[in-house]
Amino acid sequence: MNYPVWDVTFGAGLLIAIVSILHVFVSHFAVGGGLFLVLTERKALRQNDTGVLSWLRTHTRFFVLVTVVYGAISGVGIWFTIGLIHPSATSSLIHAYVWGWAIEWVFFFIEITAALLYLYGWDKLTPRLHLWYGWIYFIAAFASLVIINGIITFMLTSEKWIQTHEFWAGFFNPTYFPSLAVRTAIALALAGIYALVTASRLKDPALKARLVKWSAAWILPSMAVMPVLVWWYIRQIPPELWNSARGAMPTASHYAVEAAVLAIVTFVLVLLTLVKPARLHLAYGLTIMLSALGTMGAFEFVREAVRKPFVIANYLYDNSLYATPSATDGGFSVEAIDQAGVLNTARWVRRLELGKGADVAAGREIFRVECQSCHTADSYRGIRRLLVARQWDAPALNAMLASLDLMHNGVMPPFAGTDAERGALSAYLATLYQAGPPPSDGQRLFEQNCATCHEAVPGDSAVTAIRALDAQTASDSLKNLPALFVRMPDLKLSEQQRVTLVQWIKTQVSAARNNASTFGGGRNRKEVAEDAVT
Amino acid sequence: MPLHNLVPTLDPIPLPAPYWVFKLLLVVTFTLHIVAMNFMLGGMVLALAGRWSGSRERANRLFTDVATKLPSLLPATVTLGVAPLLFLQVIYGQFFYTSSVLIAWPWLLLLVMLTIAYYGLYYVSFRTHRRAGAGRGVLLASFLLIAAIGFLFTNNLTLSQTPSAWATKYFADPSGWNLNLSEPTLAPRYLHFFTAAVAVGGLLLMLLAYFKRESEADYRQYVFRFGGRAFEFATMAQFAVGFWFLLSLPRDQRMLFLGDNGLATMLLLAGIAGAVGAILVVARALRQDDYRSGAIGGTGITVLVILAMTVMRDILRDDYLKPHFHPERFVVQTQWTVLPLFLAVFIGGVVLWAVMLWRYPFTAAVKAEAPQPWAQRC
Repeated sequence: MNYPVWDVTFGAGLLIAIVSILHVFVSHFAVGGGLFLVLTERKALRQNDTGVLSWLRTHTRFFVLVTVVYGAISGVGIWFTIGLIHPSATSSLIHAYVWGWAIEWVFFFIEITAALLYLYGWDKLTPRLHLWYGWIYFIAAFASLVIINGIITFMLTSEKWIQTHEFWAGFFNPTYFPSLAVRTAIALALAGIYALVTASRLKDPALKARLVKWSAAWILPSMAVMPVLVWWYIRQIPPELWNSARGAMPTASHYAVEAAVLAIVTFVLVLLTLVKPARLHLAYGLTIMLSALGTMGAFEFVREAVRKPFVIANYLYDNSLYATPSATDGGFSVEAIDQAGVLNTARWVRRLELGKGADVAAGREIFRVECQSCHTADSYRGIRRLLVARQWDAPALNAMLASLDLMHNGVMPPFAGTDAERGALSAYLATLYQAGPPPSDGQRLFEQNCATCHEAVPGDSAVTAIRALDAQTASDSLKNLPALFVRMPDLKLSEQQRVTLVQWIKTQVSAARNNASTFGGGRNRKEVAEDAVT
Repeated sequence: MPLHNLVPTLDPIPLPAPYWVFKLLLVVTFTLHIVAMNFMLGGMVLALAGRWSGSRERANRLFTDVATKLPSLLPATVTLGVAPLLFLQVIYGQFFYTSSVLIAWPWLLLLVMLTIAYYGLYYVSFRTHRRAGAGRGVLLASFLLIAAIGFLFTNNLTLSQTPSAWATKYFADPSGWNLNLSEPTLAPRYLHFFTAAVAVGGLLLMLLAYFKRESEADYRQYVFRFGGRAFEFATMAQFAVGFWFLLSLPRDQRMLFLGDNGLATMLLLAGIAGAVGAILVVARALRQDDYRSGAIGGTGITVLVILAMTVMRDILRDDYLKPHFHPERFVVQTQWTVLPLFLAVFIGGVVLWAVMLWRYPFTAAVKAEAPQPWAQRC
C-alpha cells in the first residue's frame, strides 16, 4: 500500500505463477542442459560418434533458442511481474541482495556470451576450444543458480536475517543447500527430458536409441534421488510455516500430491522409453515434457503455498505489510495500521470518511490494498465463491476478519486497520453475495462457523473441550466465544444452533473414533492459534 | 477527491553501499546499454534502408552481414540493460515501481514483444544465411516491435520522474492500461534516442567495413560510405531533434542546460562540439576512404558524447524529482562482506569475457585445423 495496487482482473497471483513456472522450466534446463552439452560432446568425441555430434549441433541451436532467448527474457519477466504486483517485496529483495543480483548479472553475461560462442563455434573451433566454451557456459549457468537459490530460499527461511539484516545470514539459510540439491537434480533431469524431445525427431533408429538411453541415464537417477532431497528440504522448513500448508485449506498438500503423482508419471514414462528406444515418437517426448512441466509447476506452487502468509517469511506479508514495526517502515506494519487506520496510511486509496454512507466504497478500497495481492472478486482465489460457501452475514464476517490470521492454520495475514475499517470491509464483502438463512443441521453449522480453524477430530482443542462437557454446559460455553479464547470470533449463534452444533460435534467425534476416518490430519488448531498469539 | 502524498516512502532496508556507488554504476552501465541498443536498432534501420542505397546484390549482402550480427547485438542490449535496471531500482525504486504499475500491461507486454522480435532476428539470421537478403519482412516486424519497446521505455521513464501526473492516470484506470502520452517531452525525447540509434547504426556499418578486410574493395567502400552518410545525416538531424527536446522541457529544466547548472551546460556544449567533431572526422574519412579513422575515430567520439548525454539525462531526472527525491536521506550500511566479492567477480568476469572473445577466431571462415567429424554430417 506504499505503492499503487495493479488491478489484474483474473488474479495477480495467477499471473506470477504463469510467468514464473514457464521460466523455471526453461532456466533449470539452461543449467542442466549446459552440462549435458559438454559431457555429451566429450563422450561422442571419445567414441568418434559422428551421429551424436551431428545431432548435438542441432540440439545446441534448440538449446540456445530456448534458453538464451525465452529463458533470459522470461527471467527478466519474473522481475517485471513481481515489481508490478509486489513492488515493496521486490524493493526489499533488491535492497538486501543487490550485490547478489549484481554478481549473478556478471555470470549471466558470461553465460550468454559463452552460449552464443559455443553455438557458432561448432563451425569454427577445434573440439578442445569448443568444449572450453561449453564448460564456461555451464559453470556460469550453475553459478547463477548458486546465487539465485540463496535469494529464493531466503524468502522462505529468513530467520537469522530478520535479526541481523546481514547478507550471508539470509543467503546461507536452512533451506539453501537442500534447495540447491533439489534444483540441481531437477536441472539434470530436465537436460535429459529436453534431449528426448529433440532426439525423438531423428530418423536413424540406432542413433535415436543411443540418445534415448543416454538421455534416460540423465533423467532416471536424478529423479530417483529426488524424494530424499525433497525430504531433506521439507525437514528444514520451520514448523509454523509448514503448519499453514496443511489442514483445512490444504493448498500446499494438494500441490504436493500433484507434484508427487506427476513426478511418478514422468519417471514411468521415461522408463518406458527404454523398452523400444529406437521408436520414440515426438508426441511421446512432448508428453513427458508436459508431465515434467506439471511436476515443476506443482513443486513451485507448494513452495509458494508454504510461505504464505508471507512473501518474505516473518518480514513482509503477501499484501506488502511489514510483520514487525520499525522506525523506517513508513507506518506500513500491521501494528501501526491498527492504530492509524489503513485508509489513513495507504497512499494509493481514495480517502473516504467512514460512517457517512461511504462504508461499502471504503471497504472496497480496503479490499483493494489489503486483499487484492492474492484475491480477486470472481477469478483466481475468488472471494465471492469462498464467501458463498461460508454464508456469513456482515456481523459474522466482521467477527471472522478479526481472527483472519488464525484461519486455515495461519495462511493469511492479520487484518490491519481500525475496527471501523474492519466493519467497512465486512460491509463491502457482504455486498458480494446474498447470505441465505442460517443452516439448521450440525454439519453445515460446523462448516460455516468453525471449520476455518477447527476440525471435527478427536485431537482438536475445541472438540476435546466440548467432549469433556455435558451437552448443556458445552452449548452455553459457546455463547461467548472470546471468553473461551481471546482470539475466537465473537459469533452470535442462537440457542438452537448451539445445541445442534454441540450434538453434531459429539456424534462426529465418536464416529471418527470408531472408523478412524477424519476430515484432516488431527492436528490441534488451538495450539497453533496460541502460538500465533504468543 | 482528497489524496495522500502519493510518492512512496523509501525502503526501510539501508542502501548496501554509498549512494554515489549506485549512481556511478547506473550511469556507466546505462551508457553501455544505450551504445549496444544503438548498434542494434540502428543496424536494423540501415539493413532495411540499404535496399535504396545501391545495387540489389550489394544491398542483399549488406542485409545479410548486418542481420547475422543482430542475434548477438540484441542479447548484448538486454544483458547490458539488466544492470542499470537493477541499480535504478536501488535508488529510484519509489518512482520507478510506481510508474511501472501505472502502465503495467504495456510494460509487461513489452517482454512478449521483445521475445517475438528476438525470435524474428534469429529467423532472419538463419534465412539470410542461406539466401542473401531473405527475411526482410520479418526484420521489419522485429524492428517495429523493438522501436515500440523503446517508446514504452520513454513512457515509463518520463512518467517515473513526473509524480504530478500519477494520480489522474491511476485513479482513472488502476488496471494498468495507461501510457504517458500527455507528456510534452515524450515525442522529442523518444526521437532523440531513435535518431542517435540511426547515427550509431552508421558507425556499425563503418566498423564492419573496417574489420572486413578480406572483402573486396568495392563492397567495403559501399558499406563504409553508406554507414558514414547515415551517420552524418542522422547526427545533423539530431541537432534539430535535440533542439526540439530542449524547447519541450519545462522552463526550469531547460534552463539547467542554458546556464543554471554549470555541469549540465558544459556537457551540452561538449556534446554538441563532440557531435560536430564526429561529423567532421567522418566526413574527412569518407573523402579519403580512411576506414580506420572514420570507424574508430567516429565511434570513439560518439561513445564519449553518449556518456555526456547520459550524465545530462541523469542531471535532468534529479532536477525533475527535486521536490521528492532526497538522496541525503538514504541510510547507508555498506555490505563489506559482499561488495569486494562483487568487485572481484566483476573484474574476473570482464577478463574472462575478454579472453573468450580473444580466443574466438571471428575472422576465420571455416575451421583452420583438421576437418571435424561432424562437418561431413551437417
